[in-house]
Amino acid sequence: MKSWLTRSARVEELEKRVRVLEQDVVELRRHNLRLAELTDVVEELLVPLASRDDAAASAAIEKFTKSL
Amino acid sequence: MASSDLVRTVDDDGILLDATEDTVVDVLVDDRRVWSFWSLRDTVDDEGLRRAPWPKALRKFLDGRARFTVRETVSGRVLFDDELAFGTSTAPIAIVGRHGEPLSLDKDGRLSATFDVRDASQTGPLLDAIEEVLGVLRELGVGAFPAYGTLLGAVREGNLLGHDSDADLGYVSTETTPVDVVRESFRLQREIGARGYRTHRYSGAAFKVEVAEGDGVVRGLDVFGGFFDDGRLYLMGEVGQEFREDWIFPLGTCTLADRTLPAPAVPEKLLEAMYGAGWRVPDPAFKFEKDPHTQAQLNGWFRGTQVDLRRWDRFYSGRRRKLPRGRASELAVLAHEELPADVHVLDVGAGRGRDAWYLARQGRTVTAYDYLPHAATAVRKQAEKKGLALDVRRLNLLEIRSVLGEGARVAHEPGQRAILAGHVLDATYAPGRQGFIRFARMALRGGGRLYASFWTGKAHDLNHVWPIAMADVVSLIEQNGGSILHASESVVPRKSGAEVGVGRVVAQWA
Repeated sequence: MKSWLTRSARVEELEKRVRVLEQDVVELRRHNLRLAELTDVVEELLVPLASRDDAAASAAIEKFTKSL
Repeated sequence: MASSDLVRTVDDDGILLDATEDTVVDVLVDDRRVWSFWSLRDTVDDEGLRRAPWPKALRKFLDGRARFTVRETVSGRVLFDDELAFGTSTAPIAIVGRHGEPLSLDKDGRLSATFDVRDASQTGPLLDAIEEVLGVLRELGVGAFPAYGTLLGAVREGNLLGHDSDADLGYVSTETTPVDVVRESFRLQREIGARGYRTHRYSGAAFKVEVAEGDGVVRGLDVFGGFFDDGRLYLMGEVGQEFREDWIFPLGTCTLADRTLPAPAVPEKLLEAMYGAGWRVPDPAFKFEKDPHTQAQLNGWFRGTQVDLRRWDRFYSGRRRKLPRGRASELAVLAHEELPADVHVLDVGAGRGRDAWYLARQGRTVTAYDYLPHAATAVRKQAEKKGLALDVRRLNLLEIRSVLGEGARVAHEPGQRAILAGHVLDATYAPGRQGFIRFARMALRGGGRLYASFWTGKAHDLNHVWPIAMADVVSLIEQNGGSILHASESVVPRKSGAEVGVGRVVAQWA
């Protein structure tokens, strides 16, 4: 009886760990889209915004938001 | 009249069949296919027989007379054929769209101008567009080819599938990680948009290119990205399985109507991955059996920026041409009373623009932001006509690029700003609230104020919103640099008799 209980408890513990791992995997997968979005913002907006040309910065932002 | 043992009756309640095997059947009205379904999968039990109720989209047309035919799709065997009358009208039943174009249900159950009712002069422009977009993608370094239903039509029938209503393109990237596949898809959309096409993004790896055809019908051309990873092919939005690269590369050709187009090296293998081993047998009522693991992978990597978009679109469809009625919200009135006249109000989650309209009429400069900016079409047009300072713009709180792009845009403008957020925090979920607060931080830096209202209590009759606790809103604001000026909760009776809590917060950023 005791060994059965131990085994059941172990299975329960493993199921719990699998659930946690699944959640971790989901979270990690989500970073792909986030990272791609952030990279895109940097690539498209950083240089025009860093320039001192106000009109060029506004135009770059407008072009970027329209392209989404 | 022709009928068989299989179809018992066709009447107001739908089609009654005596079916024991699952077979796909077409329903024709005056010799034109309008609907296809599976005799078991898509029917319900009716005292031992099977009933296929009329789809809602078709039911509204059933007032008048027409010849109804039910036939087996594959064998062509006629199971029912008779003149029938529905409703009270004696006029012929015409299942047509606004411009008189014949409509039928496509494989997704949408009423569309499917290809089987369109002649060469009508499909020609779409084929032109397919070639053009394939050409643009080639110039951009991507070898794309017809995919999904369009590839199926080309390989099996040498033509567009009759029951299809859009065209799909796919490509397999040379990139090998989802993040780079997404970046490439962003670049492709931007380049195609720069060539004058309207585009719309579905996910990190798929977007639609809109093509206006000769008769004014706008068709979607979907561009799906894919990639190989360690011997597995992933193609948005359904494929994820072991696949040999030489089944894709080098690309071969296929024939679609009179055009020769690129195709995967062994298109049959890709069709099997998309539709299963039975892809050679026509099935106008095909439904994808989604593999849960592949879906979890594709969802995690690429999706999550369009949550509930379709539901909101349905919610607003039909209303967007009408000016919103009723008084402005108490929140909008409060903001107007408290804010100096020259403060630019950003109405986030403006919906049809009732509050934005009110504020603009008070002489304020207003930007109405929404996930679906076309919901405020009527308000935008009226404001334009009256010369009011009301702008309508898209803001997707679930899309980092949208939040940062708009955030940068408004932060770059001179002057003071305030955000009005009536039932936004409770209409989205945690990632949307993060997007909202990020936008607020950017827009309100330097003394800007936030006016927010949201449901706080439980209620069973709320549409499209999920109550959120006051403490959660307060901590969201405070953790993101805002100071609470006012926070209150009141109980409001609903028409249904239920009572709900309404929270109101005014906050300011230094």
